[in-house]
Amino acid sequence: MRTAFQKSVALIFSADRELLNILGTTARVSLTSSVFALLIGVPIGIWLGVCRFRGRGVLVVVNRTLMGMPPVVCGLLFYLLFSGVGPFRHLELLFTVRLMIIAQVVLITPIVIGNMETYVSDIATPLRETAKGLGFGGGKTFLLLVNECVYQIFSVYLLAFARAIAEVGAVSMVGGAIAWKTNVMTTAIMQQTNRGNFTLGIALGLILMTLSLFVNIVISLIQGRLSR
Amino acid sequence: MKTAAFTKTYGERTVLRLPELTLKQGEITAVIGANGSGKTTFARVLAGVEPADGKQKVISGVTVGYMPQKSYAFRMSTEKNIALNGGDRERARRLISALQIETLKRQRAKKLSGGETAKMALARLLMRSYELLILDEPTASMDMESVLSTEVLLERYCRETGCAMLIITHNIQQARRVASETLFLCQGELAERGSTAQVLSAPEDERTCRFLKFHGV
Repeated sequence: MRTAFQKSVALIFSADRELLNILGTTARVSLTSSVFALLIGVPIGIWLGVCRFRGRGVLVVVNRTLMGMPPVVCGLLFYLLFSGVGPFRHLELLFTVRLMIIAQVVLITPIVIGNMETYVSDIATPLRETAKGLGFGGGKTFLLLVNECVYQIFSVYLLAFARAIAEVGAVSMVGGAIAWKTNVMTTAIMQQTNRGNFTLGIALGLILMTLSLFVNIVISLIQGRLSR
Repeated sequence: MKTAAFTKTYGERTVLRLPELTLKQGEITAVIGANGSGKTTFARVLAGVEPADGKQKVISGVTVGYMPQKSYAFRMSTEKNIALNGGDRERARRLISALQIETLKRQRAKKLSGGETAKMALARLLMRSYELLILDEPTASMDMESVLSTEVLLERYCRETGCAMLIITHNIQQARRVASETLFLCQGELAERGSTAQVLSAPEDERTCRFLKFHGV
């Protein structure tokens, strides 16, 4: 165990080509999917938090259900849609990075929407009443609301990124964990462990944990700033 | 300045049924009443924050300023919060001085206490002139010294701008000190209205008498 750990640390610093390839694919999938989830989820979250309309409650419940969707279910759904018998087979996206990104966007966007909706719901009414009382128009009120959400947006992005980078179920099903093509850190850890190659697995695990620690430190700092 | 007669209903329950009212410009009108009597709903409808039944316009053609019971402190300094409602630096300086919040100018508004937030919100609101100003318990969380200095500021603002000012308050003595006219609401209805001296010293309605008796008046 100790030897494997030492070897894995050495591997990290040796800039191993396979390790770098896995890191590159992971970064591409996680960064792209979390950015897209943010771009889609933030406006919807703000809209759900601000607006009161018939059917809003249903949308919120549906979104909360999607927030808890097991990644393997999402993976299965996309597998069926894009496999040889699925309606989108002609797109030939199965076992590609693009489909991994799409699956992760579907998985992460509800988390972004849910977090933004909860935050905005809390502040929207007092903010709107105060702005209305001051005679501010819709545009100025909206800008003030967005200004209130800046740290929350950043915090939600990091949450989405953390979820994306640690996700394994969906990406392994739609990506197939193909070496040098669709293998990301989580799928590679599973693969290498199954093969008994603990060195690369531990190296990837260490990097993943370090990234997770870094993201959580940043989130804590932001939340600390928010509560001040 | 006239407000139209209106009703406000939540579900099956009519919480407010008010007749046409006349508010005098350059004077302060106090609105008193027990909890749940409809004071805040009255203020919200008048301010346009909430619609009256049938989306009826209760007041039109006048500029309305409104300070809700819990004003929002935007994520910026106290000074910047105040400047949001107009860039007149001299006016801001005078308001900050009158409300004794000079030391809080650069402090984050979110970190202010309840009373300090109320002072900041009031300064922010008074940065502009309105024809009708509605204040929902503006001094509820302030200490007595601050209450008195705020009342002086409000009286001066009302006189200088000539606005009709409506103050929702639980403080009977405050109504006595600043308001020339007082409205007493009871269970969503206007039970009594008249000069403050008459309503508080010689009320005609039995409900007003009972309310004032509980307040030791």
